[in-house]
Amino acid sequence: MFQSFFNVLIMNKISVLLLIVIGILSCSEASDIVKYEPVTLALEIPSNFPDIVYNLDNNPLTEAGFELGKDLFYEGKLSSNNAIACAFCHEQAFAFTHHGHNLSHGVNGGVGFRNAQPIQNLAFQTSYMWDGAASHLDLQPIIPLTSDIEMGETFSNVVTKLQAEPYYQEKFTRAFEDGEVNTENMLKALSQFMVMMISSNSKYDKYVRNEDNVTLTELELNGLNTFQNKCATCHATDLFSDQSFRNNGLSINPLLNDQGRYDILEDPNDLYKFKVPSLRNVEVTYPYMHDGRFSTLQAVLDFYDSAVVDNGNVDDVLLRADGSYGITLSDYEKESIIAFLYTLTDDQFLEDERFSEY
Amino acid sequence: MKLLKFTFALFACAILINCSSDDDDNNEDLTDEKGDLILKFDNAVGDYDFIFETSYTKSNGESYQLNNLKYIISNVRVTDTDGNVYTYPAEDNAFIVDELDGNNAGEIFITLDDIDAADYTAITFGIGIDQERFALGAEGQGDFLDLASEEGMMWSWASGYKFVRFDGVFTTSTLTDEPLNIHMGSVGSSLDNYREVTLSFPNTVLVREDKTPEIHIKADISKVFDGATSVNFSEGYDQVHTDATETPVIANNMQTVFEVHHVHND
Repeated sequence: MFQSFFNVLIMNKISVLLLIVIGILSCSEASDIVKYEPVTLALEIPSNFPDIVYNLDNNPLTEAGFELGKDLFYEGKLSSNNAIACAFCHEQAFAFTHHGHNLSHGVNGGVGFRNAQPIQNLAFQTSYMWDGAASHLDLQPIIPLTSDIEMGETFSNVVTKLQAEPYYQEKFTRAFEDGEVNTENMLKALSQFMVMMISSNSKYDKYVRNEDNVTLTELELNGLNTFQNKCATCHATDLFSDQSFRNNGLSINPLLNDQGRYDILEDPNDLYKFKVPSLRNVEVTYPYMHDGRFSTLQAVLDFYDSAVVDNGNVDDVLLRADGSYGITLSDYEKESIIAFLYTLTDDQFLEDERFSEY
Repeated sequence: MKLLKFTFALFACAILINCSSDDDDNNEDLTDEKGDLILKFDNAVGDYDFIFETSYTKSNGESYQLNNLKYIISNVRVTDTDGNVYTYPAEDNAFIVDELDGNNAGEIFITLDDIDAADYTAITFGIGIDQERFALGAEGQGDFLDLASEEGMMWSWASGYKFVRFDGVFTTSTLTDEPLNIHMGSVGSSLDNYREVTLSFPNTVLVREDKTPEIHIKADISKVFDGATSVNFSEGYDQVHTDATETPVIANNMQTVFEVHHVHND
């Protein structure tokens, strides 16, 4: 009698437990319902940076938006052969450039005519591409996505491909209030991912912000000093670019005959002008210049010292007292500038798992 | 009798008040009433209807034939008899007028749905996409980005819209059937070629829930080459893309292209 009472009690306990388990299971099922529940992502502006240019009001950063943007950045379906993702030419370990390629290749064996630029600190930039062909970050991906020699796709095709996948249906639902898998949301998500890609924790950054007792060596300090005297007019601010377009006196490659910014407005004053590139992570973004013609920083400095040519429209800032163009640099100055430039390498950014494919 | 006079005075007052408070002849209350308005675009070359693959001659003797003719219209708004301006909702307020979409008479229709019922006297619209909308990024473009992309109204090498697209061939005294491509647009934020036109209606357009008027807009595309400024194909206006000198000339000429030929009140 007593025993059976116990049995009943135990049985009851088990049923209660079972009920609780079922309750938890159904609870967790309930919370799995896919919906838009925005979790705001904070964007931290480094104290040594200028103001952000990107207008976040039109595209508020959320965790789900950022994650979707990352998926899309690594998604081959954005290209016509389903194989060329953004990340194909923008590899994280090389500050999101195309490792070692002077020119990048895309679908159908197409070869581009300019060197892939790093993806970092884009929220602070006023224009994109070497010639400033895009003036808004959201609209920049149109260029590589639709270019015959890059990803060779159309928006409607990409959207159709993404709409067919439950994975993306869910991701878009979580990321955007209207939940639609469409071009607008795709571009917004990509921007959210790229806006978050801030590189600001190099040795140099910690030095200028007096963090972690970081100091520069004598060679690096001398390099910084020479850099400020001879390079910082164009490579200005802690973004290391004044974002202007300039002709730096490279000889014209007749195979490419790249006229730079001239192609945008066909203004003769823009002949052979390219956007001043940032020098952040420059150690890993080789080869250099718009066409990747120099494979080392030494070659770049040697060029400025002694190989600038007068192609008819060279920037006045490069004009020397003797009428020639260039920046006179001693061997020690070159060595120290390179040592300084290496302090701009931001390993934290290059290895940041938030931006990694896996 | 006194009472009668008083009543009559009161009655007159009521009529006066009614009249002054509402300009409509029939004291119609249009609050919350919506209706549709149809814009009918009809491309022409002077007095001739525009037809693909047909040769038209310019003022300087150069001639051209087109196989592609489209342009972007945006920020459409209408002004009523009281001077109130109704602006079509921003997210839907960009259209592509494509001759290929025309009916047999070469007429292209744009329907403005659910606009405020009123008596309208004028229409204003932009040619192209304004800088403010472009600066909104993806937020401001919405589905129009896909449409423009599909219609070949975007550059693939630069992120911007082609406001106007004329493709075909031209002939001069020395050249025959050379390629003609007029692709005019703004260039990012560095060159603004967006223009607006305001056209008065010859008679008042009545939009009501049960009345859908049609505005017949004639576009004399010869004025693209012979408008405010006459341009010569032989002097570089055969290929107009993003040139900072040529594109504003085409943009200003586009501004002279449109006129309201007539309106049909339903």
